[in-house]
Amino acid sequence: MNNDSSLVRLENVHKWFGSLHVLKGIDLSLAPQEVLVIIGPSGSGKSTLLRCVNLLELPTQGRVWFDGRNITDVRTDVDEVRTHIGIVFQAYNLFPHKTALQNITVALERVLRLGHNEARDRALQQLTRVGMAQKAEGYPGQLSGGQQQRVAIARALAMQPKVMLFDEVTSALDPELVGEVLEVMLRLAGEGMTMMVVTHEMGFAREVGTRMLFMDDGVIVEEGEPRELFYHPQTDRLRQFLAKVL
Amino acid sequence: MAETVRGSAAGPEAVVARTGPPDVRGTASPWALSIFGAGISALVLVIGGVALVQVVYALEGGRITSGCRAVGLVPFTPQTPTSPAAGIKGAEGVCNIVEAARATPTTLLLWLGVVVGVAALAAGFGTYRRMETRRRRELCITGAVLGIQAVVIGAFLLWFREGRVDRFASQFLNFERLQGYWVGFIGAAKNTLLLAFGGEIGGIVAGLVLAMLAISSRRAVRAPARAYINFFRGTPLLWQLSFFYFGIVLGLNLPLGVFAAAIIVFILNTGAYAAEVFRAGIQSIERGQMEAARSLGMTYLQAMRFAIVPQAVRRVIPPLMNEFVILIKDTALVLVLGLARDQLEIFNYAQEGYSSTFNATFFVVAAIAYLAVTLPLIRLVNIAERRLRGGLLGLNIGQQGL
Ligand SMILES: Nc1ncnc2c1ncn2[C@@H]1O[C@H](COP(=O)(O)OP(=O)(O)O)[C@@H](O)[C@H]1O
Ligand SMILES: [Mg+2]
Repeated sequence: MNNDSSLVRLENVHKWFGSLHVLKGIDLSLAPQEVLVIIGPSGSGKSTLLRCVNLLELPTQGRVWFDGRNITDVRTDVDEVRTHIGIVFQAYNLFPHKTALQNITVALERVLRLGHNEARDRALQQLTRVGMAQKAEGYPGQLSGGQQQRVAIARALAMQPKVMLFDEVTSALDPELVGEVLEVMLRLAGEGMTMMVVTHEMGFAREVGTRMLFMDDGVIVEEGEPRELFYHPQTDRLRQFLAKVL
Repeated sequence: MAETVRGSAAGPEAVVARTGPPDVRGTASPWALSIFGAGISALVLVIGGVALVQVVYALEGGRITSGCRAVGLVPFTPQTPTSPAAGIKGAEGVCNIVEAARATPTTLLLWLGVVVGVAALAAGFGTYRRMETRRRRELCITGAVLGIQAVVIGAFLLWFREGRVDRFASQFLNFERLQGYWVGFIGAAKNTLLLAFGGEIGGIVAGLVLAMLAISSRRAVRAPARAYINFFRGTPLLWQLSFFYFGIVLGLNLPLGVFAAAIIVFILNTGAYAAEVFRAGIQSIERGQMEAARSLGMTYLQAMRFAIVPQAVRRVIPPLMNEFVILIKDTALVLVLGLARDQLEIFNYAQEGYSSTFNATFFVVAAIAYLAVTLPLIRLVNIAERRLRGGLLGLNIGQQGL
């Protein structure tokens, strides 16, 4: 049934919140090493779409495939699937009672069942990767927003996921802190990480994205190569959206 | 202009700038300080003066004056073959209190306190509007308020000692009647704490489990927990104690002592209240925390254990401590169960003492015993709340590696 090479595939995904129809039949597939950028106005369902991929939201209808498996099947071990899908949130969501290091090791030790030293080594390695090794013993409350977000990225990376989801990860940051986070993401993309990125950073979308979706009102309105979409929008909706954000 | 101001204040201001925010309250003045001092003095005269005279009389000790005899404060003489028992146990101590209350130094101190208090109040309220700095204004107002307190307390004491001080003192302040009971009181305090601690610790464990069930998304899991919580919050603790002990333990002839039965009921009851506290605490943790934990592959229970509950516990410390204070007082309800003598807690013990002496000093001491335990706790709750509000508690505990 799923004989293509895609890592993530959504098949006619619908999501209702009560009577609110938020996703209206989403079809998309993500190949390994792709950087899929999703743009669209606030409330168009971008976050919901992303959260359907790791089943933080259960699609009301439709199927989600991950790595050849139908993960919307009730028999799926969702907890196991999630270890292969990293997600980074707008609000960082670090555990405030744990240090940067502990934020990472807790899942390594409790979920992946790594030994204490191994977990520590791997966590430090990821903190180094995002340039946060020197703050390993700091608590989230003692870090700037950009630093917290980089720790959150390291936390997701430490699980060695096959795909990383980013949900407006720079939107809560002060402007001068946006760069350090984007830089980490840029490097990740360069290393061949498969990524789905919801963002309002149009420059990043254009330069780093290998493909772009424009969503509005729960549907994918346009899809294609980022520059193509930016410079030759086909629909009025995208034209209006770009006029507002650029 | 600005130049001169800065120049003239350069010395002290430079120091202030380095040590903290600038002092916006301004300087004090002799007048404002005098009013503040008068207010304090008035209060000290009234309260401290009366206490001092009492202490001096108590240390001199043990005379029965003619005045005391006249109102029936006669030393106790046990029954002899020829005469019945007579007098009052502890009459000497009571007489001391009465005499000290009526003594001339007391009168002078009280009147002096009232006069100074009136002066502070008049001068403070009369002039605070004209004060030039915030600090002076506050000193005037505080002095006046303290003056009012001194006047009210002083007037009350002056009026009170015109009445039957002897009756009041022999009923409530006859501490000699507690001779032979002091050790028992300490044991009773121990029992109160045992009941309260047992109930609280067991209740916290029960409450945490109940809270986890009560927040389940599955109604089948939630419903019994809710029923339990509502039942125990909806019926009086007194009823629960009676029903469990008389109805269940005695009725079904279970091999369970009164004391153990009481602790079990306290656990069951506290569990219901603690469950609500925990539920509120858990639900106050941002949704993103659970989502982050689940996204890392943690199961629901792992997310609870490693991410949510450790944060929630910090937030529920103040309300749980409040519950504990309430429980300490509620231990008095075991009165209905009829405990053995060495199992009595503070209130019960005081009640016993009262029954055998008909002297209410036992209740006064009981109140002091409760306050000795609850006041420090209440203070701790306030400190914890303040720290929590400042966002410091989580961080501090975190840094200690807890
Ligand atoms: N848990 C939820 N319950 C109810 N409505 C929700 C929930 N999450 C999102 N929504 C609604 O779904 C719509 C799409 O939300 P979202 O996916 O967050 O949009 P976007 O990320 O594009 O701004 C919005 O109208 C939002 O209010
Ligand atoms: Mg969103």
